[in-house]
Amino acid sequence: MIRLHQKWLVRFFHGLNLMALWAMIGSGLQIYNANPVFGGRAGVDAPKILTIGGWLAGGRHWHFFFMWFFALNLLWYGVYLLVSRHWQQRYPSLKDLKAIQSGKNPKRITYSWHRITILLLIATLLWSLVTGLGMYKPVQFSWIVSLVGGEWQALRIAHFLPVVAIVLLSWSHIRHGLKIGGWPLLQSIFVDAYRRSPRKSNPSSDRSHP
Amino acid sequence: MSNSSLPEDFAPGRIPRRRFLQLAQFSGLGTLLSGCSVGGLEAVIHQAWEPVNQTLQSAIFNPQRLAPEFPDAAIQPQALLTNDINFNAGRPLPAIDPQQYRLKITGDVAQPQSFSLAALQALPARTMTIRHVCVEGWAAVVKWTGVPLQAIAALVQPLETVRYAYFYSEDGYYESWDLASALHPQTLMVYGKNGGPLPPENGAPLRLASPVKLGYKQSKWVTEIGFLSQLPSRRGYWEDRGYEWYAGL
Repeated sequence: MIRLHQKWLVRFFHGLNLMALWAMIGSGLQIYNANPVFGGRAGVDAPKILTIGGWLAGGRHWHFFFMWFFALNLLWYGVYLLVSRHWQQRYPSLKDLKAIQSGKNPKRITYSWHRITILLLIATLLWSLVTGLGMYKPVQFSWIVSLVGGEWQALRIAHFLPVVAIVLLSWSHIRHGLKIGGWPLLQSIFVDAYRRSPRKSNPSSDRSHP
Repeated sequence: MSNSSLPEDFAPGRIPRRRFLQLAQFSGLGTLLSGCSVGGLEAVIHQAWEPVNQTLQSAIFNPQRLAPEFPDAAIQPQALLTNDINFNAGRPLPAIDPQQYRLKITGDVAQPQSFSLAALQALPARTMTIRHVCVEGWAAVVKWTGVPLQAIAALVQPLETVRYAYFYSEDGYYESWDLASALHPQTLMVYGKNGGPLPPENGAPLRLASPVKLGYKQSKWVTEIGFLSQLPSRRGYWEDRGYEWYAGL
């Protein structure tokens, strides 16, 4: 039996991020339904089952509560990445692009795609944070509104699209994790997991140790 | 638009809070439900967290920073929705005779005064084309013409203890603002819209307009402004129904 154990920092970041994203997306869809981004009052609502907060003010209370956890979690993760130098292992380099283009080792190619997925996912989270700040304080941070051409509707779309991207990229992140380490690896992100047969582990994606 | 919010989302049809608490107690589920039901968790979060978010918002707010202004071509007359409690319910809007109209300034001021519309229009006017943002998520570029509240404050001289501006409207709507936002150079008492007079549904003869607050803070048909040192328990029409008070942009 091999025990799969992740650093508590990794677990803390994943757990809090997952919870914050659920709350931010759910309350965001509640706010969305007050005046759908696509079509306004005649537009189509997000399904009620996905919304959190019950009404517009409730959705806003949730959104502006969990934004703290979402933002601070990303902040300390960024500091951790820099200090620990883990960004060198977790994020793609030119080598990964080469591996994808002309690599022969399928595992290596999977790792490379996974690194690209992680980069896109984190970039999307940061983008949702920046555009959200622009919608929250369009006068104090008018430069953010200018980033999307100074149009309010463009800003609304720019803040909504990350929801779609986050769902797709998270799905891809999970798929890659499963491909690399199966259920035990996925489980180990939250609690200790055990694997029966020893399997060749790769230090860059699997922190297993006997 | 202003006075804005969601009639369809708002409370009617819900179990009144007191009745709900009775039911919850009766069922023995009070503790369990208080955290996750109608008027439950979101209200708890609001109560606990509003001071934190308010501290953040007033720290971010720069009283000197001007909101971007737009050229006339950017004005979106159709986008400015009339989103008013009476209008939405099909009730008549306040009809105020501009000749009889008076704006009273009360509260902790050295020179309480009352202004006729003509007197207000004789003060130096400011025209600004700004983005009006509704809590619902939509926005509209509007051109407003009026008197900066700053200029009115200079005439009545609020005392040093004053922290809030309170706005009373003809239709019973009421709002309160932090003084810094009320004295922002782009916070105007408005009598003109998009180059013409202010239409009745937008708050004629006088309304509050500013790019630094959400639409529901921008009272229409304003008849009295109080400069206050203490915030009354009635903080605002939508605030008393669960919306946040600061609502700054």
